[in-house]
Amino acid sequence: MRLLACKPFLLPASMRKSISRAAFLEGCRDSLPMLIGIVPFGIVCGIGAIAVGASPVAALAMSMIMFSGAAQIVATQLLASGAPFAVILLSCLIVSLRLLMYSAAMAPYLRTLDHRWRSLLAFVLTDQAFAGTLQRFRDSDDVRANASYFLGNGSMLWIGWQFATLGGVLAGAFIPASWHLEFGVPLCFLAVLVPLLHDRVSLIVFAVSAAAVVALDAMPLRLSLICAGLIGIAAGVIGDKARRTR
Amino acid sequence: MSRELTIWLLVFAVGAITYTARVSFIALFARRSMPALLARALQHVPVAMLTAIVVPAIVFSAPGVLDFSPGNIKLIAALVASAVAWWRQSTMLTIAAGMAALWLLQYLVG
Repeated sequence: MRLLACKPFLLPASMRKSISRAAFLEGCRDSLPMLIGIVPFGIVCGIGAIAVGASPVAALAMSMIMFSGAAQIVATQLLASGAPFAVILLSCLIVSLRLLMYSAAMAPYLRTLDHRWRSLLAFVLTDQAFAGTLQRFRDSDDVRANASYFLGNGSMLWIGWQFATLGGVLAGAFIPASWHLEFGVPLCFLAVLVPLLHDRVSLIVFAVSAAAVVALDAMPLRLSLICAGLIGIAAGVIGDKARRTR
Repeated sequence: MSRELTIWLLVFAVGAITYTARVSFIALFARRSMPALLARALQHVPVAMLTAIVVPAIVFSAPGVLDFSPGNIKLIAALVASAVAWWRQSTMLTIAAGMAALWLLQYLVG
């Protein structure tokens, strides 16, 4: 933990003063259960990048800079299937839309922080950091402690993500292709998807997207992913409306 | 364009996209709230996109060949993994079960 305690001192002096070390460390500690959860996903991202021909450095850069499992996997899968650059970008944009939702939910609690703090915190905003900190933001109005907690939590997840990716890069380079490690990619997504299918509208979205992506498979430029995703989202919005008016 | 160069361009372009999405309401337009229709649509993004990514990786045994037969071992392994995901909600267990099923089926089918 000693090394972690040094982390806040990498920040500019003005921000260092406004950080709460205790809350930062608490955030680091509370990220541990989440870290265990993201390790397999990070490994899969590393394996996927190597399988598609990325150098180990490029594979790690994906995790350091994109820092989003869903976007990284979509990018590598589409690269493997020969989709053009613009289609890959558009697909990554759509899977990243959920981050808008998290950003909007977090914004009211961070409004009093200065711009630099907010820009830094945004970088470590992920599904896990969002899930792990929103309740604390709701319960306490100590913005300084909350922001420090969020920074601790998010930076640990970032560091863990890099190590997991490195594990995947090594596994991808040494484990033979006949083991089909790349099958871990759809499995990872199933692990996230299946528990989300707990209400009728989600099941409709699932069924419509699944049918659409199969029906549109012959579309050129691998546009089927984007189109099926948008059709599924539209089905969900209509499904919500039908349920409310009934 | 070489594969490596394409990947590096993607790293920065997609990095810009994910960061813009993250920083959007937190810093860029912090004074505005999200339009209601957008907020409702965004709730369905995870299920819609995950489905569109996962399903083709499972139901096609070769490019363009739909295969719902028991001979499609990826489909069977994915069903096993889905059952585990529903039962335990653990990424680790889901991947372990799916990979184990795939390897077993691969061995049995030869």
